[in-house]
Amino acid sequence: MEKEFYTDEFEQLIKEKADQFRMYPSKRVWHSIYNNLHPGRRWPSVVMSLFLISSLMLIGYLNTGDNTINLQQNNPSVTLTKNDINNTPASETKITTSAYNKTQQRPVTHYDNAFDDVITNETDFYTYTVVRNNRPNQLYTAGGTAQKIITDKNLVDNNSNDLIQVVDNYIKSNKIFADIAFNNKKNKAGTAQTTVENTNQGQTTVDNTTWGLNTTTTNKTNPKAAMETKPVTDNTELNKLTEADKKAIVKITTEDKNTLSNEEKAWIENYAMQNKPTSKKWKGKLAFQFYATPAVNYRKLSTKSKGSATAFANADINNAISQKPGFGFETGLGLSYSLAKRLQLKGGVQFNYTNYNIDADKTNHPISTTILMNDPNTGYSYSAARTSTTSNPYNTTALQPVTLHNRTFQVSVPVGFAYKLSSENNVDWFAGATAQPTYVFGGNAHIISSDLKSYVSDPSSISSWNLNLGFETYMNFKLGSYNLQVGPQVRYQVYSTYRKDVALIEKPYAVGLKFGLTKGF
Amino acid sequence: MTEELMLNGCLRNNATAQEALYNRFSPRMLGVCYRFAKNREDAEDMLQEGFIKVFTQIHQYRNEGALEGWIRRIVVHTCINILKKNKKFSDSVDITNAHSIHVREEMIPSIMQAKQVVECIRSLPLGYKTVLNLYAIEGYSHKEIAFMLDIEESTSRSQYTRAKSMLEEILIRKKIIQKPKKKTNFFGAVSPN
Repeated sequence: MEKEFYTDEFEQLIKEKADQFRMYPSKRVWHSIYNNLHPGRRWPSVVMSLFLISSLMLIGYLNTGDNTINLQQNNPSVTLTKNDINNTPASETKITTSAYNKTQQRPVTHYDNAFDDVITNETDFYTYTVVRNNRPNQLYTAGGTAQKIITDKNLVDNNSNDLIQVVDNYIKSNKIFADIAFNNKKNKAGTAQTTVENTNQGQTTVDNTTWGLNTTTTNKTNPKAAMETKPVTDNTELNKLTEADKKAIVKITTEDKNTLSNEEKAWIENYAMQNKPTSKKWKGKLAFQFYATPAVNYRKLSTKSKGSATAFANADINNAISQKPGFGFETGLGLSYSLAKRLQLKGGVQFNYTNYNIDADKTNHPISTTILMNDPNTGYSYSAARTSTTSNPYNTTALQPVTLHNRTFQVSVPVGFAYKLSSENNVDWFAGATAQPTYVFGGNAHIISSDLKSYVSDPSSISSWNLNLGFETYMNFKLGSYNLQVGPQVRYQVYSTYRKDVALIEKPYAVGLKFGLTKGF
Repeated sequence: MTEELMLNGCLRNNATAQEALYNRFSPRMLGVCYRFAKNREDAEDMLQEGFIKVFTQIHQYRNEGALEGWIRRIVVHTCINILKKNKKFSDSVDITNAHSIHVREEMIPSIMQAKQVVECIRSLPLGYKTVLNLYAIEGYSHKEIAFMLDIEESTSRSQYTRAKSMLEEILIRKKIIQKPKKKTNFFGAVSPN
């Protein structure tokens, strides 16, 4: 490729090389295309697979994510994360590494320069090293390029044995390959590839797993530079090489690079695609959300009584009283974590205000009345004496109309998920659900009396703990680094607002419009 | 599966044929997307959107040219549309001073030649690489590029000139190509180009 060029040739070269380039997409791309083209076919499997996928993702996430590469297996204190490697300029590698263990001299340093070109990119560093440690044996033997090159270049001369020995030592001292290979579970061949073998015919096979380090033509990455700048005890013999030998080594590696077959290239590219490095755990996946939901609150009433002949126990409670929906709202802070491209896990803290209105009349003086209660031991109902200052409008003794508010103040911890149903341009459509363990820390409760004629104010009858379910669907608008969510939400209370011994069962639900603002970390 | 069978299957919305078509052309098309995209994920998103368009508009293919060329045009247009919608392109294409732009060439790997070249292209600023991709590799004219990117034709030309110059520098520095020797006349003087 190193050739002279002119303007036209340059354009031709670019086009030619760009056209040669291929990448293999991950399977999710086809799955997404398929789901887009055949939307009807995905739904039967979505419900079943959603649970399995999320479970597997969670398990996978909890059991993986080891971002460290041991430089030396026997020296666990000298470790670098891939992030560290990526962010460290090549010239500073040694200094940075030393910072991990200032008291110990770093035992292996001679591959610093050799890695200059490789470790500048996290993906390619990982791909490069892992690929070279995992390539099938047949790529190196049976007419492998390196074997051919060594033979062709007449390197089996007077210096060849020395050279081979030196190379062997050099390779063996590069334990990073062995360690990376060790870390890679897929490497069934272990580190056997990182050796130099002598064949019966006197031919020499140099495994380009190690020599691949020098496949660039820059001075800093060839063995000569590496040897001259970082001599170590293990490979001092390298320094004894003649200039001719060193040049030969560089030539071998250059030719080795050029003789990669299409199959090898495809294999490498495919391997690179299939073995992408683990991404940073949180970055880009975690988002912070603030939201508020103005809502209209409704309620559903029922009774639970046993052995009672009161009007309360026998009437249609929903129609016997006059109640109207009221305004409520929710607001909260939350975090969302993308378990998969379409699936988000959500959690947070939420404040809720629920309210509905009761039409009543104020009486001149407190009147004695009862509310129906249930004995927790026997289950039978009984009337508990109370006083009231408000009456049901059906009561003819009413004086002046008033509006009573059955309201609660709650703090809840919503935990749930959101699933991206579709995405187009900068707009995503989500559907989600949350379970919300709720603590009720205040409120008013106006309970209808046993004779349905009065309301009794009894805040103590409110149960402190409850559970709510939230269902929502919303559009997510991407606004630069922020996302705006807007969509309807329904919140339903699973258990009665009142304690278990209160015969009146009230289950409020709220229908609201949620507005959320999300910012990713 | 032959191209004709694949086409007929795709026209009938047959999933097997669609998958076969996708498997045949997606590696090359992802390579195309990758040159336009910021990263691999974006490239895969572009590819996904591009192939959805391919399959939904396959009835418009009239067998007048190579199927790959037709798919490629759709994919390229999809890439451009995505870049424009993300408003990344319009910000970048206005950059006129090439010298002030930092090229992240340290990110260029040394694994394979084709990839080296592609990574060198990708290291260019967005506006530059887009014009270069469209003109030098995809074969669009400056007039077409101007229409596609909503820019002036002269802007496209100047962007391309600067992009090419910058790319040459990178490739020379990376020793992927050698600096051209200047032509000399009979007396040894350097002749103007």
